[in-house]
Amino acid sequence: MTPEILSIIMFFSTLTLLLFGFPVAFTLAGSALFFGFLGDYLDIFNFRMLGFFPQRIFGVMINEPLVAVPLFIFMGIMLEKTKIAAGLLQSIGELFGTTKGGLGIGVVIVGMLLAASTGIVGATVVTMGMLSLPTMLKAGYDQKIATGTICAAGTLGQIIPPSIVLVLLADILQGANEEAALIAGDLAPNPITAIDLFAGAMLPGLMLVVMFIIFIYFYAKIYPDSCPPIKTTRSRQEIYIEAFKNVLPPLILILLVLGSILLGVATPTESASVGAAGAAILAFTKGELTFKNLKDVSFSTVRLSSFVFVILIGASMFSLVFRGFKGDELIEHVLTTLPGGQVGALIIVMLAIFFLGFFLDYIEIIFVIVPLVGPVLIANGADPLWLGIMISLNLQTSFLTPPFGFSLFFLRGVAPPEIQTKNIYRGVLPYIGIQVLALIIVGFIPEIATWLPRSIF
Amino acid sequence: MKILKSISSFFDLLNKITGSICAFFAASMVVVVLAVVILRYGFSISFIWMQEAYVWLHAYIFMMGSGYTYLNNEHVRIDVIYRGASIKYKSIVDILGNIFLLLPFIYIIWKFSFPFVARSWSMNEISREVGGLPSLYILKSAILIFCIMLFLQAISNIIKSIINLTSIDKS
Repeated sequence: MTPEILSIIMFFSTLTLLLFGFPVAFTLAGSALFFGFLGDYLDIFNFRMLGFFPQRIFGVMINEPLVAVPLFIFMGIMLEKTKIAAGLLQSIGELFGTTKGGLGIGVVIVGMLLAASTGIVGATVVTMGMLSLPTMLKAGYDQKIATGTICAAGTLGQIIPPSIVLVLLADILQGANEEAALIAGDLAPNPITAIDLFAGAMLPGLMLVVMFIIFIYFYAKIYPDSCPPIKTTRSRQEIYIEAFKNVLPPLILILLVLGSILLGVATPTESASVGAAGAAILAFTKGELTFKNLKDVSFSTVRLSSFVFVILIGASMFSLVFRGFKGDELIEHVLTTLPGGQVGALIIVMLAIFFLGFFLDYIEIIFVIVPLVGPVLIANGADPLWLGIMISLNLQTSFLTPPFGFSLFFLRGVAPPEIQTKNIYRGVLPYIGIQVLALIIVGFIPEIATWLPRSIF
Repeated sequence: MKILKSISSFFDLLNKITGSICAFFAASMVVVVLAVVILRYGFSISFIWMQEAYVWLHAYIFMMGSGYTYLNNEHVRIDVIYRGASIKYKSIVDILGNIFLLLPFIYIIWKFSFPFVARSWSMNEISREVGGLPSLYILKSAILIFCIMLFLQAISNIIKSIINLTSIDKS
């Protein structure tokens, strides 16, 4: 048996094994070990190669830019637990809700603001599912448009900076970039940082928001009965004053964090600490910074960041063995001999990520798939920055695609029982279409992603 | 069975305690990074050891907290099948997964990391940066702590699954 064949078997049996439901991190690592033993037995892999592994774990432990991840998690959970996110949602709903489709547009805008402050898709979908969904249903919204809009708006956290996904992706892409430089013989590649990806994701993210809003606007024109205006007994003035109190403080925090990163004043880690502390201060002014809340937020931060980084460790065990079997060379060979050259390779990779997204989470795709395909694509001329944005737009759809989209699960978990799962699936379909359209647009016009980072740095 | 049960609860308790320490580290990390930012941008002072301190805290949070995270069942699963499955299915998947996937992984990390960490202790390794933290071996030891905490939780989970299985058979 050749190592390449073993690498293919390893890849697909690990995917199958994952479906049984044992934690992803341990399945990736355990399955890799099994195949490592097998390869060692068949004399096509040296088990001693795993001796490098402690050094790899240590590399993850001392990776300073990744400290931004738990800090952003802390900030997001703090805003959610202390009901600052809920206040935002309520006020914007009231501001926009009095027109046809307005509530839906409000949900998209809150999704954008929460994305810019927390970036945690699960928390956003749950918050909106618990607060906005009942309001929309009471106003007479059709189940499909209501649930679809909430799921889609929730996924904006993935692409709109500061996003945890982009911090992780930047780390992986930088590794891929260095490898690509080795392949292509380029001695000094431009490094890719989280800041570059943040800047690159700004315009595509906003474009997506605008596309969502346009969709709801026209949907409301065509089917006015499915998204009627809400009736409110409160005066405009009351609504404005409350909106001022609820929206302005988090908005300032968002601008502070995002602005300091994009202007290059501070690193993402530094800005994230300001965001985390700022969220705590906002909670304090609302009288919500209790010991219990602080404790809950800290414990959640531990659990969420541990799950992310332990998958990173499991995935690096997987790729260590996979590469030991020369699986990366096999992928390189396939991608470079495809008809259609570089464009063909890109399309294949994008399709593969899209379909893998049906049953893998973004984290597994970033940690397992991107390190394998990234170096080849970049070495053959793909702009790493643009590639990163394309991948994250693509991954965003994995949150929405039935039957295993994360967003759908989270919403199902908090939606009232009269909501049919079928309607959630049908509700997200137009949004998946919009996502794919956005992906194609950025594919044809890379400047949407590359213009901003190139012009501010 | 009773002994098994108390072993499992004891391991759970240990991981709960380490989880609390990690939560304390998480809140401290926010403060330390913020202090670095204030000192740098407010007073143009920076200390390498402070920057290393928050990186160390971060490393300890996810390494030492891994067992606690497992206790709370928050290591993410692809749960299309798992979510709606019977207790019997879940228990069997967990027993087999812990024995054939997780425990070998922990063993291998321990086996390869032990010399790596021991070397650091024996040479009293310090940070490579000037002005960095001493005793780098404390940071490296987090890898072994990771193994220990996950090992305890894996054993506890196996016990719980076995108890679940036997109670199904009885009823």
